[in-house]
Amino acid sequence: MKKFTLITSVALFLFTAIANAHGPVRQKAEEQITINAPAEKVWALIKDFGDMSWSPSIAGTKAEGGNTKGATRVLTLKEGGTIKEELKKYDETKMSYAYKITEMSTAKTITHAGAEENVPVLPVDNYSASIDIEAKGDTSVVSWTAGYYRAYTNNNPPAEMNETTANEAVTAILKEGLANLKALAEK
Amino acid sequence: MFVVNYQAVAIVIATAFFSTPLSATPFAYITNQLDDTVSIIDTEQGKVVDTISVSGKPAGVAVAPAGDKVYVSTPEAHGFAVIDVKKREVIAKVVVSDGALGIAVAADGKRIYVADWYNNSVDVIDADSFNIIKNIPVGDSPSGLVVSPDNRWLYVANRLSNSVSKIDLNNLTISKTTAVGTHPFGLTIDARGERIYVANVKSDDVTVLETRRMLAIATIKVNMLPYAAALALNDSRLFVTNQDDGSVSVIDTETLKEIGLIEVGDKPEGINTHPDDRHVYVANWFDSTVSVIDAQTLKIVNTIKTGEGSRAFGQFFGK
Repeated sequence: MKKFTLITSVALFLFTAIANAHGPVRQKAEEQITINAPAEKVWALIKDFGDMSWSPSIAGTKAEGGNTKGATRVLTLKEGGTIKEELKKYDETKMSYAYKITEMSTAKTITHAGAEENVPVLPVDNYSASIDIEAKGDTSVVSWTAGYYRAYTNNNPPAEMNETTANEAVTAILKEGLANLKALAEK
Repeated sequence: MFVVNYQAVAIVIATAFFSTPLSATPFAYITNQLDDTVSIIDTEQGKVVDTISVSGKPAGVAVAPAGDKVYVSTPEAHGFAVIDVKKREVIAKVVVSDGALGIAVAADGKRIYVADWYNNSVDVIDADSFNIIKNIPVGDSPSGLVVSPDNRWLYVANRLSNSVSKIDLNNLTISKTTAVGTHPFGLTIDARGERIYVANVKSDDVTVLETRRMLAIATIKVNMLPYAAALALNDSRLFVTNQDDGSVSVIDTETLKEIGLIEVGDKPEGINTHPDDRHVYVANWFDSTVSVIDAQTLKIVNTIKTGEGSRAFGQFFGK
């Protein structure tokens, strides 16, 4: 049995060296920004789940269900493609809400390991995020955090669907979104 | 590549059978997946007293019954690491297979069980030699593992087959497989080995399995994305981590009804009860903390900072 394992390991190892195999590990992205505006003013800009015009990467939002748990929105991206999200938590007093991606359109199709793979517009899987505002006197601190897996859920991911790609894409959205929110709130 | 370090192992094994509890203080071993570390919590001091470096994205955890070793699954190193609790260092790295995540140790400490979610199988490993005794094909994407207290059965959650298999440890074959909820993940067994509580990630509920007949006797709705569960107070209360709600559901095991919801940290995952049978420890993946719940009052009594991405999937307390 040991012999068998050893052979498998070696074979695997050789394969690993080429493909850089990894088991999916949940990834995390956290961004924070201090805005020189009262929390209420910032909250007013983001509090409608059905309006994501404060984010520069979003061209339009189509929503159903308002700000109650279970509400949905379909975001149309400026670069093309759609993301459907569901509201999971909403707390007016804490000025925070949480949501999940439930569906995404395909950005492109690639061939990997002999199969066709659809790369989603945001190269992640099982994505959930939350945003909250903390009042600090006349200023506010906005935190936007996300937990997700890489888009490729099997072993040996293609570059378009690995952890690095997922992290870069998510971090960019969070950073740009918060920077734009700051600009809007400080006007 | 197979077993990197033999030398320390022989010494440890020689003393394992005579080992008394190493200290009056129970320790909790928390895997921090994003940090490649394991935090050791001294539960009397209520803080992390040591951090061990474990490469390969440590996730699953199982403490040997003798309390002398901790087995930590390392999916990205395709196996598990063995921690010597006295030395507080990794004394061996064992390569098992591609997607090693769920890990459990036999009630007599002689075997280690590792579930591989890519290869759809469970490996049975000799705890002395680290040789693979057998590879048992199970359902799709096996995750949580639990051994019966009498060391007679091993149960495995087949996440993508939506079932739980019961493996006969005498002949290492599956004796029965039962359908549960959608995407079962963590398994918890009671002290008598009569019931198993299955956390179903996708159907947001817990299946109660009667082990003898492998019969689902109840399904209890919890909150969002339940990950795992722990029993406390003489198995009278079940605590279930709800990942997407940052909460723990409390279930009365007699009425099988939810009797409370406790707010913990963000993305709670691994959950275990302290040997005092009263304090429940919850690893909050997103916050990189551990919440300590008093099972009687249902209040948080402590929050302990750990490392990045605390997962602690499995049995992280020595019994």
